[in-house]
Amino acid sequence: MRYLLIAILISLNTHLIGADAIRIVKGVVIDKRTHDILAGVYVIYGKNLGTVTDENGNFLIKTELDKLTITFQFIGYESLTKEIHIVSDSTIEIEIGMETKIREIDQVVVTANRSEQKVAELTVSMDIIKSAFLSDNHITDAQEIINKTPGIEVMDGQASIRGGSGFSYGAGSRVLALIDGLPMVSADAGNIKWQFLPLENLAQIEIIKGASSVLYGSAALNGIINFRTADATNIPDTRFFIETGIFDKPKNKDRVWWNTPRTFSNSSFSHLQKYGKNDIGISGNLMIDEGYRRFNGEKLARISLKLKHFNSKVEGLTYGINLNSGYTVKKDFVLWENADSGALKQDVSTASEFHGTFFTADPFISLRKTNHFRHDLRARLQSSLNRLPDNEQNNSDAISVYSEYQLWYKVFEFLDITSGVSENYSKVNSIFFGDHNSMNVAGFTQFEIRPLPRLKGVAGIRIENNSLDGINDKIIPVFRAGLNWQAADYTFLRASFGQGYRYPSIAEKFAATTLGSIKIIANPDIQSESGWSSEIGIKQGLSFGKMTGQADISIFYMRNSNLIEYMFGSYPAEGLGFKATNKEESRIYGSELEFLLSGSFGKISTSISGGYTFIYPVEVNPYTNENTDIYLKYRRKQSGNISLSTSWKKFNIGLNLYFKSKILNIDEVFLTTPILVGFNDYWAGHNTGYGLLDGSLCYRLNDKLNLSLAVKNITNTEYMGRPGDIQPQRNFSLRFSGKF
Amino acid sequence: MIISSCLLLFACKKDNKTERFKFLTGHVWTTESLLANGADASGPGGILEQFKGDAKFNEDGTGYFGIFTGTWRFNIDETELVIVTDTQLLPIITDIVELNALSLVVTTLYPNPIDQAHPINIRMTFKAK
Repeated sequence: MRYLLIAILISLNTHLIGADAIRIVKGVVIDKRTHDILAGVYVIYGKNLGTVTDENGNFLIKTELDKLTITFQFIGYESLTKEIHIVSDSTIEIEIGMETKIREIDQVVVTANRSEQKVAELTVSMDIIKSAFLSDNHITDAQEIINKTPGIEVMDGQASIRGGSGFSYGAGSRVLALIDGLPMVSADAGNIKWQFLPLENLAQIEIIKGASSVLYGSAALNGIINFRTADATNIPDTRFFIETGIFDKPKNKDRVWWNTPRTFSNSSFSHLQKYGKNDIGISGNLMIDEGYRRFNGEKLARISLKLKHFNSKVEGLTYGINLNSGYTVKKDFVLWENADSGALKQDVSTASEFHGTFFTADPFISLRKTNHFRHDLRARLQSSLNRLPDNEQNNSDAISVYSEYQLWYKVFEFLDITSGVSENYSKVNSIFFGDHNSMNVAGFTQFEIRPLPRLKGVAGIRIENNSLDGINDKIIPVFRAGLNWQAADYTFLRASFGQGYRYPSIAEKFAATTLGSIKIIANPDIQSESGWSSEIGIKQGLSFGKMTGQADISIFYMRNSNLIEYMFGSYPAEGLGFKATNKEESRIYGSELEFLLSGSFGKISTSISGGYTFIYPVEVNPYTNENTDIYLKYRRKQSGNISLSTSWKKFNIGLNLYFKSKILNIDEVFLTTPILVGFNDYWAGHNTGYGLLDGSLCYRLNDKLNLSLAVKNITNTEYMGRPGDIQPQRNFSLRFSGKF
Repeated sequence: MIISSCLLLFACKKDNKTERFKFLTGHVWTTESLLANGADASGPGGILEQFKGDAKFNEDGTGYFGIFTGTWRFNIDETELVIVTDTQLLPIITDIVELNALSLVVTTLYPNPIDQAHPINIRMTFKAK
């Protein structure tokens, strides 16, 4: 008994001595691929025990234990767990390299169902473009990045997803652009104001490919592009870049019209920071582009401000305001002088200076309880002023007030409901369009049900009414439904059906003007477009050795009716000109493949991504409902891209190859009349498919600063968007950027 | 099932056979008068000479119109008749002034090659054959 007592005392004493000994674990957490310091990483080493890495990525743990299991967690990165053994009174220093979540199936998006969801669990096709892709490739124009996305073409400002749109001279977009979920199309022309999208503070771009009117109403007939801005995090984030560039000579030297090289420059900054219960974000951009074409330059300034306050008394209550404004002076390219030496010279008759001012104010208030409910009340006041000093009758002032209330509620563990109401009042004052006001009111409800752990169903309805100048249009109901089944751990099958429609824009109804030799005729009797799209698809997580990623394959079908198209002809009352008409009945069949693979091999990290889209876009005989042998205008059967990005030590190299097949059909007027001088012959020789190769090289000067060079259109390929719109030849840009 | 039902529902063929459609496609029409700026233009050398004769608007949107063959369609509210032929550079877009079981009258403006500022007023009258 005595020995036992002594043994217990010795043991206890030893334990107490051991317990008193302090052991220290010090470390730094970095991105395994880029070696960037990761600040704000959760470092958890027991129940209710943890810390966060500081702004230099450092953490420090003091413990009395000789063994620790530490888990590192950070948004966008794979969680990492390390077991550490520490001897008494010692300090261990470790470096933790965290790997980004490379399987895009884990990415969270909000656009598809108006609530946060993993992209793999969606019932529709969605593309995500990260802001890093824009900065890596010196992309400063939203049109450029969207145009380079598989299955999407932006033709002179008009976006078309999977062939859902043609080209209608910039009026009436069938693709709805959103900034943070709120619509951003002009009240007059119904077009996207690309130049005013706040790319300098972008988190990601989410693109829904297919009719999305149930959740977003008119104008979402062909899909959604949601530009999501970044929010402040615990660590202040400051970024900037300055860039200058130069256009090379085109391949056809006869087209050189300048004496000194054409240049462009761009600068941008953004800062995000939390101050207690307040988030602040500010960003701005200045751009001067002399243009590679005569009378086609642009000067642009943008600034945006985000303010958000977290109420300290009511948990989950936040409110704030986002402001976004811009000013541009530019000349849009309309007609060339001729197809030869004048192809890059705008015809003087259509060269008109445009001064555009844009402003949005988005107040919001939100009350949410995680996994239970969320109330959102949001609004957008938008003002768009167009001034044409040389052509004042084309001036236009457009103001709109959009507001929406949305409730998300978890009824049961297996059932969520999202409901809301919205209104959009617009007022247009213009000689060009006439003075008009319109009101759009809508209500929507969507159910999301999970009857089985791996099965999700979505069904929704929207009822919407539009009135113009006090005259009510008919009430439009639209539906959507979809299924997603997780067949295996990394295999997701989906099927969806969605209806869409679009009220004509004020421009399509009332615009009447003459641009050079082009006469635009008003058509107040134009009716709404409508359609539906459906698809089945599979998203598969991939793993090949050290490479992981995902692939997505889909087959889709779209049917549209009464599509508005500008038709050239001699009209009974107005004579010769273009007039918006409900002409097009269409079917589009297609399939799409997209993939992403990435991995690390020693000090080399690489990712490869790409996509290929095939469509068969055909006009439908409205009387027999059968396909004709006429292709839809301004569509291409095939498009695709492949992108490679590799980093090694302080270098990062990127190569992007894009290809598109020829345009299948265009308006006959361009071939049979002299509107575009020399176009007929040009078209015969140049309407072919094309490939574009862009490249970039980035050198990391230190942890915060980068220097990069980008060359776009390396092969100096000549290619065309809409008729007469030759796209930029080879150009070079040098960028100095920083992140603090 | 929901998706399949939606697809079936919205893929169904629409019934486009309105009264005007039946009037137009129900007959062979023959020209009664072809006027350009109020004067007969159906004679030899007249600008509407080639429209003289019969016109047939088939239910499938094809047809013949004088010597021309091509396609026809109404606009959305069936107040306009648009004829497209391979041999005419522009679609022929006409206002329907009258359309019933017995008579079809359409009018339009057509570019005047001599005086572009003053297009030619066209009025074509057909009777059911």
